[in-house]
Amino acid sequence: MDSVFLSAQPLGDWEFVWQQRQFFVEGTRIAVELTFYSIVLGFILGLPAGVVEAYGGPYSKGVVRPVGVAIRGTPILVIIAITYFAFGVSPAFLAATLALGVRSAAYQSQIFRGAIESVEGGQMEAARAVGLSKLDAIRHVVLPQALRRSVPGFQNEFTIVLKDTSIAYAIGVAELLKRSYDLFSLQTSAALEVFLAASLIYFVLTFSVNRGIEVLNDRVAIPGGNY
Amino acid sequence: MTRSTKRAVRDGALAVFWLWFGARLLNDWFGGVFVAAGEPFFDPQPVADASTALREAVAGTGVLGEPVGWVANGLGSLSFAMTYLPDLAAGAWLTVVLTIFATIFGLVLAVPLAAARVYGRVTHWVALAFIELIRGTPLLAQLFVLYYALPLSRWFAAVPYLGSGIVPEQAVWVAVVGFTINSAAYQAEYIRGSIEGIDPGQLVAARSIGLSRVQGIRYVVMPQALRFAIPSWTNELVYLTKYSSLAAFITVGELFHAARAAAYANYRFLDLFLLAAVVYLALVLSATTVMEWVRGRVAIPGVGGSGDGRMSAD
Amino acid sequence: MAENRLLDVVDVHQSYGEERVLEGISFEMDRQDVKVLVGPSGSGKSTMLRCINRLTDIDEGEIALDGESIYDMNQNDLRRQVGMVFQDFNLFAHLTALENVTLGLKRVRDMSEPDAVEKAARQLESVGLREQANSYPAELSGGQKQRVGIARALAMDPKLMLFDEPTSALDPELIGEVLEVMRDLAEEGMTMLVVTHEMGFARQAATDVLFLEDGELVEQGPPDQLFEAPEQDRTRDFLGRLTSLHGDQ
Repeated sequence: MDSVFLSAQPLGDWEFVWQQRQFFVEGTRIAVELTFYSIVLGFILGLPAGVVEAYGGPYSKGVVRPVGVAIRGTPILVIIAITYFAFGVSPAFLAATLALGVRSAAYQSQIFRGAIESVEGGQMEAARAVGLSKLDAIRHVVLPQALRRSVPGFQNEFTIVLKDTSIAYAIGVAELLKRSYDLFSLQTSAALEVFLAASLIYFVLTFSVNRGIEVLNDRVAIPGGNY
Repeated sequence: MTRSTKRAVRDGALAVFWLWFGARLLNDWFGGVFVAAGEPFFDPQPVADASTALREAVAGTGVLGEPVGWVANGLGSLSFAMTYLPDLAAGAWLTVVLTIFATIFGLVLAVPLAAARVYGRVTHWVALAFIELIRGTPLLAQLFVLYYALPLSRWFAAVPYLGSGIVPEQAVWVAVVGFTINSAAYQAEYIRGSIEGIDPGQLVAARSIGLSRVQGIRYVVMPQALRFAIPSWTNELVYLTKYSSLAAFITVGELFHAARAAAYANYRFLDLFLLAAVVYLALVLSATTVMEWVRGRVAIPGVGGSGDGRMSAD
Repeated sequence: MAENRLLDVVDVHQSYGEERVLEGISFEMDRQDVKVLVGPSGSGKSTMLRCINRLTDIDEGEIALDGESIYDMNQNDLRRQVGMVFQDFNLFAHLTALENVTLGLKRVRDMSEPDAVEKAARQLESVGLREQANSYPAELSGGQKQRVGIARALAMDPKLMLFDEPTSALDPELIGEVLEVMRDLAEEGMTMLVVTHEMGFARQAATDVLFLEDGELVEQGPPDQLFEAPEQDRTRDFLGRLTSLHGDQ
């Protein structure tokens, strides 16, 4: 924080941004952490939810589906605000992780449901014909294929969560955009430079994640493709 | 519930919502047609009294009184909602304005962008760079650039009639610009996807009857591609409805802003944000319902993706 | 005679919603029998097979394996004892040929990894696929896929093998290799119930041919009798149409 106060003397605007680079780096670290924990939480909740939506009975589906619809129909800003202001989850970083994670779960469940449903019915049937129980068939035959097919869906999901960490600004999490805003209020003439710098960092992050997932997708592909 | 009863329930709920929303807006714009502007249509006080009375009546009756307590709580929530919904309605109006303007203006920009991305040479790279940069950066950062870093707000301030009557003030228009740019990039990607899904033979056939390349794209490819893109537009409308809440951070008094302002006045954060969530949900469901109808209207017989052929699967 | 009986199908009725698929089918199979179900598409042949390992449930009637009603048996036990080969192979797409075979051995028969691999390798060798053990399904030809499918079912040491149009999804030049495996299997004494349009296979390998139409068992008998001198007009009509379509195979 010290460097922020030291920089109060007039500086060229790009110079100002460069001088505060450490501040951006910290913000980037927090944005990345927030993304990572949210995606993990989303996976832990979203995978079982997706399985329930694909295979569940009327009661389990009757619970999971409407909850998913409600979460997906509510702005992430409102979800973050409810978590932090209404439920009083603290610190703000935890509130943002929970909100982004639960929302991500609602979307990941759809990725997994779609992937599961894209696995041909014959796979389940053949597994059952060999004598596997339904649960074993899901675990050893359907899910290994469904998880591979869900990888491309994560490109989108990662990008959305990463970008939406910026909305944690609303509850004061010191992530990238919040820090940019703080810098901007220190030197208002540097508004363009500060926000463009932050945007550039976000862009580099989303771009790298997308390429990374493409590489991952090639790595986990079944040789010869799906038949 | 069967599919059709679910649909009837949904349509009925939406009809009630829009009836209320429409009456509310008309009433407030024209200075109180039914009740004073900004006042509830029905006095919430009796409902609140009933809730209190019920709660007192069953106080100390233990488990037996519990169901009555739920009713009392329900009535309490109802009276709360009746009190604050007028505030939220004004915000929801701006949410609708932002969403609709951004979708339409975004579409106008998106069609040439998509065409450039698919068919252009130099313009291909320009369109690609624009689309990827916008899609790769947070919407809130884009709004900050427009609002704090560019003089857009000052330009809009110079436009006459802005902010007077029902014409929204300048910050709203900055937000419209921001959402339009953002949405254009996404919509361009949807349309690109649909263009690439169309048999290249269609353009070849268009050229073979003497249409120019641009004409072929305009009259043969686009009419098909835009239909294929309708499901994506549903997503886009939903996305914009939800993300228009970010305009609150550049001082636009939309739905979230209205809920937050009310919450700071009485510290009932949970109630107000949940109420806002319900209104958002109603808007989102309206968007999907309308798009479903549009999809049915413009469907081409025998062309996949435009009818509801896929729905027979479940 | 009684201890030689493996399968009893008694007056089986089955329907999908309004549509009645099987209307009172009865037949039995002794050990080492090879019975071939023939009939026009939609006659209920495949459904009959699927009822036997309970991929489909029956409405009425009784099916017994080794004298025990299949509805008194644990479902997974039943399926372990009844192997099934599918028309479109249904190989597990994410597993190699070898792993396709070992999955059931490990998860259903609780075999150790080395034992399962050894048994699976032998099984693949018996269908002529030693070289392809580590290939993924998408890297195999249709005929190879189907032979993996057969090996996968055989590895469970089933008492009865069900074949649901095992060659219908294959290119003509690949049908022979699959039929050869099936003929060998029949000669080794495996009890088999086969739905197929390959009349050549029925003539050579079947102990009995069963003709189904509209969910009814119209006629059954040894292939020579059924093909040369069918008793029912409906059988004759069907065989006549088949011959004019495909030529006599």
